Amino acid sequence: MKPFAAARSGELVARLEPAEAGILGLLLDQLEQLLTADTTDVGDDPVLGRLFPDGHRSDPELAADYRELTESSLRDAKADDLALVRASLPAEGGEVRLDADQAAAWLRTSNDLRLALGTRLDITEDTEPPEEVAGEEDQQLAVYYWLTAVQGSLVDALVAARSGRR
Amino acid sequence: MAGPLAPTWTPETTSDERSELDRPWVTIVWNDPVNLMTYVTFVLQELFGYDEATATALMLQVHHDGRAIVSSGPRERMEHDTSRLHAYGLWASYQRDS
Repeated sequence: MKPFAAARSGELVARLEPAEAGILGLLLDQLEQLLTADTTDVGDDPVLGRLFPDGHRSDPELAADYRELTESSLRDAKADDLALVRASLPAEGGEVRLDADQAAAWLRTSNDLRLALGTRLDITEDTEPPEEVAGEEDQQLAVYYWLTAVQGSLVDALVAARSGRR
Repeated sequence: MAGPLAPTWTPETTSDERSELDRPWVTIVWNDPVNLMTYVTFVLQELFGYDEATATALMLQVHHDGRAIVSSGPRERMEHDTSRLHAYGLWASYQRDS
């Protein structure tokens, strides 16, 4: 991967290896399945619980009101972001070139992917990247840290672009 | 704006009721191990228009204290702020200020 950086045009540009683009495509498929899962399951699935958190922590009635009010639009927004990311991802790898709307979608979707993986892998602030990839869990952990690098470079490029505008 | 028909007498509010009414609602961001510090700062600037120093201080408060109040006001606005933070994957909730 060549991390995200601002091009002269103002677009944010990165480059993905074919294998990286393939993994990202699979992760998007998995996220899409999660987003289209039955809403009544949110309480039972820690990943869905993290993507669609309670709005109020101690009052179940307020939390239910909040969910009723916001969950379906949050779900739609995530699905829209996911579609934008998929449309701007070169399936065979290569250059990724994002305008402002696409960059915002990549930012939120890469965060959702990290939240989903991080919750499933029980990431804590002390978790370290795997030194060698021995099993399935190490592989997922390596993917998590790769996503962290992708998203981190996107945030840095957006911050740099914003301070350039001032 | 008191017009000619404005009441000259308003019913008294007990101090208990008053404090209940005056206490604003707040939106809280909670610490979580996944969201990047740079990302949280960026989102707080983007959503609330905070300058970099304010957003960074709030992010560090979340990181060190486990939570920070990022906005306060009427309940409906705090619900809205919470949903905007959830759209960016921040771990947020709203409650009456304690």
